[in-house]
Amino acid sequence: MATTKVPEVRDITRIERIGAHSHIRGLGLDDALEPRQVSQGMVGQLASRRAAGVILEMIKDGHIAGRAVLIAGQPGTGKTAIAMGIAQSLGPDTPFTALAGSEIFSLEMSKTEALSQAFRKAIGVRIKEETEIIEGEVVEIQIDRPATGTGAKVGKLTLKTTEMETIYDLGNKMIDSLSKEKVQAGDVITIDKATGKISKLGRSFTRARDYDAMGAQTQFVQCPEGELQKRKEVVHTVSLHEIDVINSRTQGFLALFSGDTGEIKSEVREQINAKVCEWREEGKAEIIPGVLFIDEVHMLDMECFSFLNRALESDLSPVLIMATNRGITRIRGTNYQSPHGIPIDLLDRLLIIATSPYTEKETRQILKIRCEEEDVELSEEAHTVLTRIGMETSLRYAIQLISTAGLVCRKRKGTEVQVEDIKRVYSLFLDEARSSQYMKEYQDSFLFHETQTASMDTSQ
Amino acid sequence: MAVHSWIDILKSSKKTALIQDGKRKIHYLFTDGKEMAEEFDLKTDELIVRKWRHKSTLGAQGQWQVEVGEPLTAPVASLDSVIKENCSNPSFMRKDTKTSFQWRIRNLPYPKDVFSVSVDPSERCIIIKTSNKKYYKKFGIPDLDRCQLPLDSSALSFTHANNTLIVSYKKPKEILTIEQELLKELKKLKGTGEGDVDCRTQ
Repeated sequence: MATTKVPEVRDITRIERIGAHSHIRGLGLDDALEPRQVSQGMVGQLASRRAAGVILEMIKDGHIAGRAVLIAGQPGTGKTAIAMGIAQSLGPDTPFTALAGSEIFSLEMSKTEALSQAFRKAIGVRIKEETEIIEGEVVEIQIDRPATGTGAKVGKLTLKTTEMETIYDLGNKMIDSLSKEKVQAGDVITIDKATGKISKLGRSFTRARDYDAMGAQTQFVQCPEGELQKRKEVVHTVSLHEIDVINSRTQGFLALFSGDTGEIKSEVREQINAKVCEWREEGKAEIIPGVLFIDEVHMLDMECFSFLNRALESDLSPVLIMATNRGITRIRGTNYQSPHGIPIDLLDRLLIIATSPYTEKETRQILKIRCEEEDVELSEEAHTVLTRIGMETSLRYAIQLISTAGLVCRKRKGTEVQVEDIKRVYSLFLDEARSSQYMKEYQDSFLFHETQTASMDTSQ
Repeated sequence: MAVHSWIDILKSSKKTALIQDGKRKIHYLFTDGKEMAEEFDLKTDELIVRKWRHKSTLGAQGQWQVEVGEPLTAPVASLDSVIKENCSNPSFMRKDTKTSFQWRIRNLPYPKDVFSVSVDPSERCIIIKTSNKKYYKKFGIPDLDRCQLPLDSSALSFTHANNTLIVSYKKPKEILTIEQELLKELKKLKGTGEGDVDCRTQ
């Protein structure tokens, strides 16, 4: 007999991938802004974390606009980690925009336009808007799944208030979110008509005598009165850039063809600035200055730096955090040398936080945190060996060895990574120093080695 | 007086007229950015459609909101649309006659004595209630609000036939005179004939 396969119900919760900084959950400071040695995924760098904590307080305060901070230090000393820590401690309500210095170079948009868009993405406006919501008690949910298992589901939802009753047709997304929220008959819910967001208010009092197994936190509420559809004011945060985009779209049928926004006219920006200031004075809106983080800031050129100088003076500018790993080097777009590849006049406006190389103990601690994050178990000796590798080569190389060694270990059906596994991946993958050594020895047998003799300019 | 202020707002708005499909279509653009569109029958001069469009707080172009006439249907009801009313639900629309404002609610298969219609003067609205708790509707009369005229319960009446509830409200004298005056004004507007026209208000 042919059996029909019933497809598995896929979980809606997203599986997150592990990134280079996914173990960072904050800056690891206590209430007095004193850094703890190991906390929230942060290790060491006590002075720079404390400095970042002070900056964080300034951002949260929100009164000071247009300050800029530079995090400078050798590669692999936690510059990006500190910036991520600041982003995590600010929470989801404060805008945090991150970009790499090379991102602004595009053929479609001028450098300064890309920078201004980034600046405006980092300023949030909290504003009240009217939306239509449906509020009622669930009488019945009926979801029909097609017998074949594939194809669209059909759903109906009956809601009532004390005065009326309405049947709604449900789209696929709505069916998913209703089952995710575990909405059932007797619940009082609100649905945002535009976004489809469902929130459960509680259970109706009329169901209070049902002998249901329910948690202690179940709340009983009255069945709503009057009409099912209501207009309600909700507060939400949008960035200045989003308002720019809404207002710069070509109107009429041309809007169909213009997918991207391209450059936004400065008149539009000025109008919006004026409008936002007006709303703020009338108390309709609140401005939430956020953070713009530019990684690898030495990749910006002279024009961008002079634009930054000017942009930081505006009172609608966010706190700018930059990070670089360069020493005294050529400023891009000029022939002048300058510390960090940033012109002196901009450096003068910056608060500079320096990061220092990690000690052996700290390296050991960081490797331990990464092992937990990547779900790899390390034996005590292997941990010591890996720390040694981290000290002699680089922290990044040692971190890369964790997951590869973990894989080698799993292939030989081991549960804990041993020194042998580390040795094996150490021999399989070269670190930077060994790779250069190899190049020097076998230079002659590589292609184009003659042209390489004229030393490559590595300053950029 | 308030009656005159509404007339003045109408007169000061930018208007474009168009005669098409036996209808006189007029588009108004008001100084505060709101837009209104009206359609009149050429023969009977009855108002067929009146709809409004506002800009949202952030400046995005809103959807047309129908005040009078058949509600707009979405071009193609996409399968993934979040939530919408089932077609078996009562549908509410306004359709005026010469002498009264009139609302029709279709798909109400209940006897007439279930319904009660009343005026709430404090909230300036009419309330339809059902004793079987199936339908409830609260709505205002924007025409009276714009002219700041009071609501009068004696002007209200309702009938029920063919699953449809019809609620009528007799237009007061002031409204009738405004409508007459406005119609005269609109007929003076040079209505362009068929085909494409440059809309001056856009």
